[in-house]
Amino acid sequence: MNIEKVAVIGAGVMGASIAAHMSNAGIPVYLFDIVPASGNGSVKSRNVIAETAVEKLLKANPAPLMHKKNARLITTGNIEDHLELLSEVDWVIEAVIEDLGIKKMLYLKLEKVCRSDAVISSNTSTLPLRQLVNGLSADFQSRFMITHFFNPPRYMRLLELVSSTATQKTLIDSVREFVDIKLGKNCVECKDTMGFIANRIGIYWVQYGLLEAFKQGISVEEADAVLSAPFGIPKTGIFGLLDLVGLDLIPHILESMKQLPVDDAFHDINETLDLFAQMISDGYTGRKGKGGFYRLNKKDGKRVKESIDLNTGKYRQSEKPLLACLKVAHKQGLQAYLSLDDKNARYAWTVISKTLLYAANLVPEISDEITSIDEAMRLGYNWQLGPFELLDKMGIDWFVNKLKQENSAVKVPSILNASPFYKTESGILEYRSLSNRFQPVPRAEGVLLLSDIKLKSSAILENDSASLWDIGDGVACFEFHSKMNTFDMESLSLLRQSIKKVEQDFVALVIHNEADNFSAGANLALLMTAIEHKDWGSVKGLIQQGQQTFLNVKYAPFPVVSAPTGLALGGGCEVLLHCDAIQAHAELYTGLVEVGVGLVPGWGGCKEYLRRTLQIKSIGGPIPPVVRAFQTIAMAQVSKSAMEAKDLLYLSASDGITMNKTRLLADAKNKALTLSQDYSAPEIVDFKLPGKTAKILLGMSTHAFRVVGKITAYDVQVADKLATVLTGGDCELLEPLTEQQVLDLECEVFTEIVQQGGTVDRLEHMLKTGKPLRN
Amino acid sequence: MKNVVIAGYSRSPFTPVYRGQLARVRPDDLVAQVIKGLMNKASVNQQDIEDLILGCAFPEGEQGMNLARLVVHLAGLPISIAGMTVNRFCGSSMQAIHIAAGAIQMNAGEVFICAGVESMSRVPMGGYNMMPNPGLYKSYPEAYLNMGETAENLAEQYRVNRVDQEAFSLESHRKAYKAQQNGFFDDEIVVIETAKDGMVSKDGCIRSDSTAEDLAALKPSFHAKGSVTAGTSSPLTDGATAVLVCSEEYADSHGLNKLARIKSIAVSACAPEIMGIGPVNATQKALQRAGLTLDDIDIVELNEAFAAQALAVLDDLPISALKLNLDGGALALGHPLGATGARIVGKAASLLQRQNKQYALATQCIGGGQGIATILEAI
Repeated sequence: MNIEKVAVIGAGVMGASIAAHMSNAGIPVYLFDIVPASGNGSVKSRNVIAETAVEKLLKANPAPLMHKKNARLITTGNIEDHLELLSEVDWVIEAVIEDLGIKKMLYLKLEKVCRSDAVISSNTSTLPLRQLVNGLSADFQSRFMITHFFNPPRYMRLLELVSSTATQKTLIDSVREFVDIKLGKNCVECKDTMGFIANRIGIYWVQYGLLEAFKQGISVEEADAVLSAPFGIPKTGIFGLLDLVGLDLIPHILESMKQLPVDDAFHDINETLDLFAQMISDGYTGRKGKGGFYRLNKKDGKRVKESIDLNTGKYRQSEKPLLACLKVAHKQGLQAYLSLDDKNARYAWTVISKTLLYAANLVPEISDEITSIDEAMRLGYNWQLGPFELLDKMGIDWFVNKLKQENSAVKVPSILNASPFYKTESGILEYRSLSNRFQPVPRAEGVLLLSDIKLKSSAILENDSASLWDIGDGVACFEFHSKMNTFDMESLSLLRQSIKKVEQDFVALVIHNEADNFSAGANLALLMTAIEHKDWGSVKGLIQQGQQTFLNVKYAPFPVVSAPTGLALGGGCEVLLHCDAIQAHAELYTGLVEVGVGLVPGWGGCKEYLRRTLQIKSIGGPIPPVVRAFQTIAMAQVSKSAMEAKDLLYLSASDGITMNKTRLLADAKNKALTLSQDYSAPEIVDFKLPGKTAKILLGMSTHAFRVVGKITAYDVQVADKLATVLTGGDCELLEPLTEQQVLDLECEVFTEIVQQGGTVDRLEHMLKTGKPLRN
Repeated sequence: MKNVVIAGYSRSPFTPVYRGQLARVRPDDLVAQVIKGLMNKASVNQQDIEDLILGCAFPEGEQGMNLARLVVHLAGLPISIAGMTVNRFCGSSMQAIHIAAGAIQMNAGEVFICAGVESMSRVPMGGYNMMPNPGLYKSYPEAYLNMGETAENLAEQYRVNRVDQEAFSLESHRKAYKAQQNGFFDDEIVVIETAKDGMVSKDGCIRSDSTAEDLAALKPSFHAKGSVTAGTSSPLTDGATAVLVCSEEYADSHGLNKLARIKSIAVSACAPEIMGIGPVNATQKALQRAGLTLDDIDIVELNEAFAAQALAVLDDLPISALKLNLDGGALALGHPLGATGARIVGKAASLLQRQNKQYALATQCIGGGQGIATILEAI
């Protein structure tokens, strides 16, 4: 069955956000809630809950909608007047209050109105499937499953799916495929046990860490520091995570966990601290409330970060813990870190060892496959490594020995008796199954991962900053792997070499990597060194090399397709602009942000962006394209999604968007192969630019911004330099500039601007603090 | 010399840009509907009309191609009527009236339609392709100064404080709202047919509910430390106006409703950075040509581009509040640049009749540093 229309019942935060994400996928969706008791009979008042939810979606941050216009795909209503409309939909997701009685009443109604082939699922996180369907018809049970989204649904890539033996396999397959391809989520099948996989382990970890921090006298900052980075866990750690999800959610989950089997280790830690209960009742429920374990407090007009002192329960100024043990973790690895005789390292060991042991004990109770558990923790809690991958990293034998040294009576589950959990066999990643046999880690059909290719082949070309890989069918993949994937001389040089190589041996090139962020732009440290030595020749060389490299990309005799995800800023955006096509992950944050560090785009970014604005046919005349380019680049506009990148012209209308990150490379490869049939390089275009008059016009608008206090004094100077490039300098309206002339102008202005004190200050500040200077 | 009279005045509702109900109406269609409305009201023999003179401040895009001649066809007027588009920025349609008056006195026609239009939604201020002269900008940048800053300059030079500006703006809204409630606009407004919003008959910029506190809370719009805000600037507006200008003889022989006689006209110029003071000099010239003094004037329509600007003018031209902008001014009604001049002349003429007074003055400031004034006399 094809899922083409969906309904979400329950317009709370989760229900509304799920509806929003359906709209992100281009799926029309009904969002219904109850008629409030205050309803006065008017249609508006009867739909008010769902309507208010949509209004909130438009304002929420981080945005649940990838584009505001997506909200038009959400139709609001209520379950009294509009239930019949559900006969149109292929999938109904119930996301109402966690009350078994209310849910079952709703299911009885749904059964009457939904089509017989429609899927019905619950987003419950605390109720078992067997209770939800108990007493309902066999037909209903055959169409029912639990689809547990993680909050926020747009950004969290996990969907836990629980089905029963009664659920039709074809419906499960339809949902899996839809969730994967359309929604971009990885579907992990779970057994019908409390908390499923991710929360069962994740909440154990949080709860253990919380109680143990109290017991051992560890501050919230220390706890979050020692439990995060060393394990590849987000820096929110446990206390920051509690603030994020809301403290008030925890008692509900703890309550539901009481239903776990009597011998479950969770019961040992299932208690709510007085301080925790007090914080909730006082409204300190986290970021959505008055604050949580952390808060930003305004003191003397400044925002100060404060933390709860676990001893006193009062806020105090936050401290950045400078812990020697973290350095050990970074330099010497997990074993050295966890062996330290240090209060904080001991705490980290206690929490992580209990958590990993708990996870190991849950096989096969919650899942038969360690891969599912690892994937659930990676995608549901954003851990870089799941529990079993972490165990492999620290060494299973070492882990078990250390446990036994501490407590010779410790019960170690049998799966910890062998090592490792994962290995590579003939270039294929394999994992150890329940039967102790290794088998390939499953990949959904059509998924192509660079990490898998790397296991079975070696790079065609390679240096410290980048590599070229053969991804099959005549397509090569260029990968950056420098720090933050910044561009330096090495990566530029390898890109030029790669173009020659691809010309000889391949039919197309994809530029892609599997890091969180495609590229943070040019390596500013390199530029700063040249500036410090007043080596303007080198600055010019750096610009010209970048320009030439990107021209080679553009005019290569084969198609080049970029496949970016996450941040693609500055030079990272410029390379995109030079490609024949872009296949973007839906979460693409791209922009020409050079002005933030006092620069102008110098690697053809101004030129390529102008080329795009000059092609807009809707409004004629020489000025609007220049104004449009100026507005985008002078304000360093960054897209908040790939959809928005189309509005900003970083992506063109024909560029593709892939919802599921794991399908990005495959989609890009297909696009490249399609383009490679009858490919010819783009035609060289001229740039008809208005020259000085437009620069005056842009200067007038910059001046207006300055006097009204919206921009700084140095912003005006940077804008002036940018205006010089975008208007074509001293050019004459009737004499178009060549592409090279625009590039030369970029280079000339860039070389001038780096000699200005304001730019040097901005660059230094960025390198030192990672934040822009507003001088 | 022949006497020249205003023998009819119509306008569209004035509505705010983008969100207003006229934003999706092409300006040529808008003004054509207003002219049709004027023709329905004034029983003029259309074959006698010499010319359609149409004011527009940014005559490009949908307002381009010598709009006036095209509007002749859109308004269903005889093909024999000529068309001329006039640009004197905010003074454009008052200038259209002046041109007609001059032509009538030169015996170069008996009847003229003098109109004005601006869709500030559809053609942005500055136009689509503003291209300043680099040499002039270098030697005399003030020539291109934006209007908001000129208002700040006047506020500073005339020490007009923010509180007074806001009180002036509130008063303009109060008067306009009252006039609307009293039905004083019903006679002048031509109901406009729109594709999206149906028939539009009501002004859209007037606020009956803003308070001094609301205005005081606004941030300065043009200068971080300035006093001019969105609340004390005329709003960007879509609208069109048309008046019928003819010789008094013609009006008499055809039984037209003579609203007022044109007594004198003037334009003047001043430094562009204080363009808002333009009405002072223009008014003085017109008064002198009419042989009148300010005290003789009973009704004044002083265009309110900015409260600071209007208050600065009032500092030099002491005009009693009892005579000033009786049905509200541009701060409340809106200021569709090309359409405003004909509105305040038409309004002043109608007020002479309604209030049964002798002399009226309509005057306004003009971007770039100019003033324009028209003195009317009761029939």
